Amino acid sequence: MRYGMVIDLKRCVGCYGCQLSCKAEHGTQPGVFFARVVKREFGTFPNTRLTFLPLLCFHCGDAPCVDVCPTGASHYREGGVVDIDADLCVGCRACMQACPYGARSYNDEQRAYYPGQGLTPYEAARYSEQNVGVVMKCDFCIDRVRAGLEPACVANCAARARTFGDLDDPKSEVSHLIRLRGGEQLQPEQGTNPSVYYLPPA
Amino acid sequence: MSMLTTHDRVLADLGATWRPQRQWIEGRGLWLIVGHFLSGVGAGAWLFGAWLDDGPTLLAAIVVVALAGVCHLAFLGRPKRFWRMVRVGSSWIARGFVGMSLMLPAAVLYFLFPTGAAGVLFLALSVAGAALLVVYKGNVYAASKGVPFWNSPVLPILYATYAIRGGLALVLLVMPVAGGGFERHGLALIELWVAVSAAVMLGFYLAVMRQTNLAARRSVTELVRGRVAAPFYLGTLGVGLVVPIAIGVAGLAGPLSQGALALVAALSLVGDFFAKYAIAKAGMYVPIMPAGRA
Repeated sequence: MRYGMVIDLKRCVGCYGCQLSCKAEHGTQPGVFFARVVKREFGTFPNTRLTFLPLLCFHCGDAPCVDVCPTGASHYREGGVVDIDADLCVGCRACMQACPYGARSYNDEQRAYYPGQGLTPYEAARYSEQNVGVVMKCDFCIDRVRAGLEPACVANCAARARTFGDLDDPKSEVSHLIRLRGGEQLQPEQGTNPSVYYLPPA
Repeated sequence: MSMLTTHDRVLADLGATWRPQRQWIEGRGLWLIVGHFLSGVGAGAWLFGAWLDDGPTLLAAIVVVALAGVCHLAFLGRPKRFWRMVRVGSSWIARGFVGMSLMLPAAVLYFLFPTGAAGVLFLALSVAGAALLVVYKGNVYAASKGVPFWNSPVLPILYATYAIRGGLALVLLVMPVAGGGFERHGLALIELWVAVSAAVMLGFYLAVMRQTNLAARRSVTELVRGRVAAPFYLGTLGVGLVVPIAIGVAGLAGPLSQGALALVAALSLVGDFFAKYAIAKAGMYVPIMPAGRA
């Protein structure tokens, strides 16, 4: 079993729904992004093209962040999910320097979305002192997956651009899509063997 | 206001093609650079002090490495958990922590009880710890796959060279105070040799990184004519290499005074710090997408 995700760049419309649903699911603070969308405009008018690239932790099979972690806080979980044990993290941020995809965020202090007004009830309920001074990242919503649900970004993708499943199962939808549409990993030359594949936009 | 500034900067960085690394240079990140600088100087000085059997140098080395440990703790997000950093299987940070944990107690014990079989054991342990400290930080940077400018086997050699040089500089600084009886001209020659080695190594490193990939080339550009150019030219090259090498070459004609040697040592230390500062600040992450309008 190896959990993986396929993101269809032909379907993605850059609505940022994945980014927002992730923030809602995990209650992350300002400046902390588990999922994000990078937007680029290429060409000159009238021949321009807008490209979106949804990003998240790629849960690499050979994750450099796990190798450099001095405490074992960064580790592999079931299904190849790369996770951080907040109780073990010392906040050295070596994993952030090791990740070629910028998938990790350092939470240096408790921040509110409305500065000077304190925490909203939602923030007070979701933020945890445990997460201050440590590195945070996407965990493929492993608690949802265990409960039989899809990760929040997949479940809330309005364009159904995301598919989640078992990469080791040749009959799974993700494996089928990768085979059928020529799914590619981002920057395979890094040698990290990401579990997230992109389907080409055209 | 500060929240908005930080938040906006994070957003700007995440959307940018070229993202500068900020974690190990800005805010508390500067403590890490100071810690790396001090640990190299202290470990190098311990090796020289053990070789020369010079008590004041050994004492200075212990103090400097202890300060380096404090700086590392000041950098950590969760310093109270520092003792967990022992996963030495693949982490150079853990190896550095083990090196410091090995060196400091053994060094103190050797300083107090230098004779007999116990003295030999303490010395061996402290030298092993110091050697680990000399090599660890370059490897910490080199293991950073996200920052191609650092991800090079040349960097550990460069940082080890700087650590040796920093250690010698501390010996030269302590010498006028302690009145060490060793031969000044010989130390001046070693200092000149190590300084020239560091200069050659730095030039080689930058030449290699310029050819490696776009992100590394971008970092080199930042270093030689970008936002890191001032500390690089003034601190690393001018104060740290050109002036000490010039004084060292002048010293070939005749022995340098203790004051001149101390000046060379102080300049070398400043240059050592700025080498680490500039290389850390020039680090850029691998671009996620090709350049375009964000």
